[in-house]
Amino acid sequence: MGAVPQLIVSTVLLGGIYALIAVGLTLIFGIMRVVNFAHGEFLMLGMYLAFWSFTLWGLDPYVILLVAVPLFFAIGLLTYALVMRGVVKASHNVQIFTTVGLSTALQNAALVAWTGDFRFVRPWHSGVVIRIGEAAFNLSQVVAFLVAVLFTAALVAFMKWTRAGRIMRATAQDVEAATLMGIDTDRVYRLAWSIGLVCVGIAGVLMSPLYSVYPTAGLQFVLLAYVVVVLGGLGDMIGALLGSLIVAGVEVLGSYYLGSAWKEVIYFVLFIAVLVFRPAGLFGQRGSETLGA
Amino acid sequence: MSKRGRLTAIVLLIAVTLVSAALIRGTEGQALQGEYKIGVLEPLTGALAFEGKRHLEGYEIMRDMINERGGVMGKKLVFVVGDGVDPTAAASEANRLITREGVKIITGTYSSTLCGAASEAASRQNVIYWESSCVDPRYSKRGLKNVFRTEIDGTGFGWYNVEFIAKHLAPRFNLKPNQIKIAFLSEDSSYGQGVTEAARERAKKDFGMQEVAMEYYAFASTNDFSPIVAKLKQVNPDVVHHIARGNDAVLFWRQSREQNFMFKALVHAGATGYGSPDFGKALGSEGNGPFVLAEPSVGLRLEAFRPEAQKLERDFTEAVKKRAGTEPYASHRLAGAGLWLLKLVLDQAKTDELEKFRSAVMSMDLPVGSMLNGWGVKFAENGQNANERVQHYMLQWQNGQMVTVWPEEFSTLRAKWMPLPAWDQRK
Repeated sequence: MGAVPQLIVSTVLLGGIYALIAVGLTLIFGIMRVVNFAHGEFLMLGMYLAFWSFTLWGLDPYVILLVAVPLFFAIGLLTYALVMRGVVKASHNVQIFTTVGLSTALQNAALVAWTGDFRFVRPWHSGVVIRIGEAAFNLSQVVAFLVAVLFTAALVAFMKWTRAGRIMRATAQDVEAATLMGIDTDRVYRLAWSIGLVCVGIAGVLMSPLYSVYPTAGLQFVLLAYVVVVLGGLGDMIGALLGSLIVAGVEVLGSYYLGSAWKEVIYFVLFIAVLVFRPAGLFGQRGSETLGA
Repeated sequence: MSKRGRLTAIVLLIAVTLVSAALIRGTEGQALQGEYKIGVLEPLTGALAFEGKRHLEGYEIMRDMINERGGVMGKKLVFVVGDGVDPTAAASEANRLITREGVKIITGTYSSTLCGAASEAASRQNVIYWESSCVDPRYSKRGLKNVFRTEIDGTGFGWYNVEFIAKHLAPRFNLKPNQIKIAFLSEDSSYGQGVTEAARERAKKDFGMQEVAMEYYAFASTNDFSPIVAKLKQVNPDVVHHIARGNDAVLFWRQSREQNFMFKALVHAGATGYGSPDFGKALGSEGNGPFVLAEPSVGLRLEAFRPEAQKLERDFTEAVKKRAGTEPYASHRLAGAGLWLLKLVLDQAKTDELEKFRSAVMSMDLPVGSMLNGWGVKFAENGQNANERVQHYMLQWQNGQMVTVWPEEFSTLRAKWMPLPAWDQRK
């Protein structure tokens, strides 16, 4: 029983990290119906942005967040214009091959530019530990969790209450009807893609004090982000947050009670079960998985 | 002497001088006759590239040293390089090096995930496979006649680690070896499992240590060690035997500190995880304490080596410092020692024809302290250099640097923090 408070804290904080990554992925998935296999590489670019800013100019990752938002929005606009625009209406196979290609290209560009060495960002807060009773919190992880919650709330508000958000939802629900209503769907996709990249770029910056930075750093997180997105329901932000907590819970409790080797068995069985019995996700609206298909 | 006689004497003197000079040159730095090409296979892109490139650097430094010392079989040694990013690529690159580049010997490959596939590809074409670093015990248990390994295998790592725990650590903890509570934690690749299972077996059979936990995890998808740390805290081990692969070492150490997980020592083996320089870069003096079984580093007592090995060791260290700007890392040393031993064999065999090459390998018998890293040489029929000849060393992280601390006859520095004090007192 002594470990229970720690397990709860670990679940919540790890869930926050997964949510940061999954929110951007679910947005792109939900609006564009594109599975972005390069999502992990944009996460890696966010980590490198934090690393270089910290190493070259001594800038704290939290300061870099202010730069990361416009920078990743610009990267989103650029990659959309150069890569995604041509395939957004193509078949899923073409989209998968394109984003896998983009992923490999970005990984290897990073390898050539920055070598395969592990790099580390060690700002003052990365070593700060807060202890309450039996549980220990890492300050950088607490901040990542809070930003994840804030970001999810902001995105939900944006989608629900702004005109741009309504237009995006309309496009996601029926792209042809949206086009007939005069909606510029290309613009909607560009916006969804760019906001998705801003989310993952921010995730990268916030995770840099916690994990090593290297060209394939994104891979170990992005597979879990797909599980989260499927659990939470395609395009559902709150679902992504809750899905992240479920995956983190399975990981932490599975590792503790059954052994680490079991954790992946458990959440992939859950993943398959959700796909088979509730394809819209645990929290998604029934039928939403086929919308816009 | 007549004028003519004097002239003849001068001409003779000049001739003798020139011939003598040529003879001296001939024995010291013989002009190399042509080139001898071998294949070097390393992961140069992808997740393993960070160590693969360091290995290649070690090979290149040793290649240049070899060429300054007469090359191989009197020829200049040259490389064709293949990128074995994963087992499939390693096998296809091995095939390319053999069929397109025409090499008769391939060396490499850093990782235990790559050496099996690459050496099988070489075996199908009867090409010599000279492994310098992978430690998967299965590598030399396949009955392949073309396959050799200069480095210790995983069972040797496990053997040395338990030897160190039982004979060096236990007395300092005022415990008998059979009173030691040991927790095994390892990434689940063939490397991690090979080392861990060998250590578990010896700890139990030879010393009766008390195994209090055994946990394997997937290196590529473990983002949080806090549940494992919480579990280990409950069983309160004296020693954590952790075989890590990369970032997992940093993450486990950091989260152990966060949760104030106290143990007396942590022991690892190999150039990955705690054995990578990245561990020190990530943690600095906060990483003080872990032991790493590896090739020697700062604090090596060179006088314990034989004279020719001392010179080789000094020259290699200087060459690495000049090119890489650091002390030699384990990856440099594994590649360097493997390639130097290949030179010795080729010079003796004078051919790359498999049967003669194999007899030359089997006939080599050098005691510990004869080569780079203080290694000796005695190959078994399965192509494995004897574990007891491949002298290994226990290094310890002390203030951002891995220093050689054991065996004490080979080291000038001594292990600290036995047992490890509180996390904030390891200075």
